[in-house]
Amino acid sequence: MASLSFIKHKPPSEAAEIELDLTPMMSMFLILLPFLVSMAVLTHLTILEFSLPPNIGQAAGAASSEKPKVKLTLVVTPGYLLVTHGERMLDSLPLVGQQYDFSGLAAALVRRKAEMNLENEMVVASRDRVRLKDIVAIMDRCKASGFEKIGLSSATENPGEGR
Amino acid sequence: MKRPPRAGKFSSATQDDQTTFRPQLTSLIDVMTFLLVFLIKSFSVQGDVITPSTNLELPLSTSHKPPKPAASLEITKTNVMADGKVLSMLSASDKTDSMIIPGIYKWMVFRRSQMSDTAQGRDVLIQADREIEYAVLKRVMYSCNKAGFMDFTILAIQKE
Repeated sequence: MASLSFIKHKPPSEAAEIELDLTPMMSMFLILLPFLVSMAVLTHLTILEFSLPPNIGQAAGAASSEKPKVKLTLVVTPGYLLVTHGERMLDSLPLVGQQYDFSGLAAALVRRKAEMNLENEMVVASRDRVRLKDIVAIMDRCKASGFEKIGLSSATENPGEGR
Repeated sequence: MKRPPRAGKFSSATQDDQTTFRPQLTSLIDVMTFLLVFLIKSFSVQGDVITPSTNLELPLSTSHKPPKPAASLEITKTNVMADGKVLSMLSASDKTDSMIIPGIYKWMVFRRSQMSDTAQGRDVLIQADREIEYAVLKRVMYSCNKAGFMDFTILAIQKE
């Protein structure tokens, strides 16, 4: 209590005289800041890995005698997405407000993977007019749905005519 | 030669008045501290393996894999480049029916000849503008594949 009363009765003029000398701290900041600004990374880069289907790659020659394994295929067109397996069409996802239905796609992929007991491989088959940003976004959704190995190939414009 | 003391309204200022003036540094120190914390958070010792080209906008991705060294190709809206050299103009390559783009094929064959035959280092890192169409990407990949490159990676900006 005695010490408390001492603080209480400390004259205000004495308290005001205690001032920190901030100059060395400012000097340190001025040296540190340009160094850190030069080393700062403001955008982080990442990569998205994929491979070509084995019938296009050159390694196909060795394995051509083997029957190709049927994989889940996502056909990407400018107007809709199709989930297929072999010749069976499983899901069709039209655009939602001029954008692909990414949440619907993720749900469909997770459901089909569980139902059909598929491995973590799939093929994204894109048509010519699809933009890269959409392909990357779709491949992201495929990876998030458990398909780690993605092959990228072309979807025929008119499957009936084989073109 | 000593100057005589100046007469006027400032001559009456005492020595104490001049020495007691100090700038208020507290707010400046606050700003500096915030800046320091932010910059330490974004500090990178490792640095980037790849420097993205300035004349293209990379797509955004949720992937978290860091870039690794590979044969790099840059696809802008107008041309395909490698190491700052224009390999093909897209307007010119659009006119041909062939899937192979000769400039890219020749360059990739040259790059392939510089590499060892091991499986490592046979990746192609594609830096492409987010607005390019798959038709362009397809022809670039086809040309690389014919030159002996099997696996591809697309460079993207990581989404937070």
